[in-house]
Amino acid sequence: MNRRTFLGASAALLAACGKPAHNQKTLRLALNWKPDPQFGGFYAAPYQKHGLDVEILPGGAGTPTVQMIGARSTEFGVVSGDELVVARSRGNDVVALFAVFQNCPQGIMAHASRHVASIGDVMKEGTLAIQRGLPYARILEKKYGFDHVKVVPSPGGDISAFLHDEKFAQQCFVMSEPLLARHAGVDVKVFPVADIGYNPYTTVLATSGAQLKSDPDRTKAMVAAVREGWGAYLNDPGPTNARMHDLNPSMDAAMFAEVAEAQKPYIETHQERTSLGSMTAERWMTLIGQLADLGDIPQAMPAQDCFRNI
Amino acid sequence: MKKFLPPLIPFVVVTLAVEWMVRGGWVPSYLVPAPSAVLRALFDSRDELAAAFAKTSAAALIGFALSTFTGMAIAVLLSSSRAIQRSFYPYAVFFQTVPIIAIAPLLVIWFGYGMKTVIASAFIVSIFPVIANTLTGLLSTDPALRDLFRLYGASAGVTLVKLRFPAALPQILTGLRVASGLAVIGAIVGEFIGGQGLGSVVDVARTQQRVDKVFAAVLLASLLGLGLFALINLISALTLRRWHTSEQTR
Repeated sequence: MNRRTFLGASAALLAACGKPAHNQKTLRLALNWKPDPQFGGFYAAPYQKHGLDVEILPGGAGTPTVQMIGARSTEFGVVSGDELVVARSRGNDVVALFAVFQNCPQGIMAHASRHVASIGDVMKEGTLAIQRGLPYARILEKKYGFDHVKVVPSPGGDISAFLHDEKFAQQCFVMSEPLLARHAGVDVKVFPVADIGYNPYTTVLATSGAQLKSDPDRTKAMVAAVREGWGAYLNDPGPTNARMHDLNPSMDAAMFAEVAEAQKPYIETHQERTSLGSMTAERWMTLIGQLADLGDIPQAMPAQDCFRNI
Repeated sequence: MKKFLPPLIPFVVVTLAVEWMVRGGWVPSYLVPAPSAVLRALFDSRDELAAAFAKTSAAALIGFALSTFTGMAIAVLLSSSRAIQRSFYPYAVFFQTVPIIAIAPLLVIWFGYGMKTVIASAFIVSIFPVIANTLTGLLSTDPALRDLFRLYGASAGVTLVKLRFPAALPQILTGLRVASGLAVIGAIVGEFIGGQGLGSVVDVARTQQRVDKVFAAVLLASLLGLGLFALINLISALTLRRWHTSEQTR
């Protein structure tokens, strides 16, 4: 190799290094959990039809999708509403585009054999497994106090400690862990956190303010594709479930079908399919107020900056 | 001073560089906190962090002490005969490969939430280097010295205490250095699921997107690791300086 070709090759190499490794044409969508029915519509979405090339990145426990969006290591991500508001208060310009769960599907499950009538009763004795950093955990603490119940970390989706101990209650997705428990032969009582007045949008498709500004057409196409995908998934989850089951074999096929059915009322609250995923400023305002009261954000912020219905 | 200056220079340079990059807006503060923000978090949450630090220290120390004594005892047993070593050493290796996160929910069921689970986690991840290094040390006694002991009719017990164990000290201490850091990691992982101490602080702060507080807790955890490491170094200097080259060249 003579000197000139060497220099040329080095320059090419440097140029290649300087370029982002990521293909600009592909849009990335980062999930905050493994493929499961709560993401059904994202897997069912006809991206190609809308002229998009989308790569879905499955996540795991604690995948920081909200930070990934801010760091531009993904164009789109699935976040929860409260996470988004807190991120915005820290200067991370993340915007909600499509809220899958119109009603928060999170709750507390307890053994039915305890005959507890309310969340307040669950707080009176035994153990509660909950992620203490979550806003609703602290709302519960404020409202009922954690003096009589032993608070331990949430075991994620694992219910072995729950099955083992009758006085054990844990945070859950109302259409997920309770089904697992029932399959294991334990009858459960579930209290949605919406009952205590905390009802943020969850499983929210979000992007960065920068992406929204620099690539408005494809962002719009993305939302349209996702909306169509959720419509299709609600009509017939079968084929998409089969695909997701291949990607996440740890959840069995029957469970996919069951969860997909159980989550419907939390997703489809509007009459019109065309408004699937749309959000209101009032709901965001309520959430912002609750988070400000908890001290999770230093001060309230304009609700309309948090989301865009497109 | 001569000893502390070299590591201090990169520390100051890196800290100032990070501070400058965050303040200048090149790195967003929700991804990397400014060192000044970490200091502020340390100060603002000092009571909570001090209590958490005490819990994590206690659990890591107990786990480390348990793995030190159990690990050495197992190594002595393994070194006593080839047959025992062949039969049981593979199971010791098993501890090395246990994905602690995967069995964490089981630890909670076996030991309950709180201290015991955290200690068990610290113990499991830190025992293997103790076994492996102690065993290597015990098996590499100078054959000439062993013959000498045999010649004078020394019993197996005397040979172990007066010859094989002291000769194995450099390797044992190397094992303890590795184990000390692992014990802290094991304790923090145990705390993620057992719920207390710095692990719990990290878990909560992460959920609340408080990167500054996460770093503050991580800083304390590494200080704990450094403290344990320094302790082993001190023991090493005290026990080896009269005869082993590794402590004489300093």
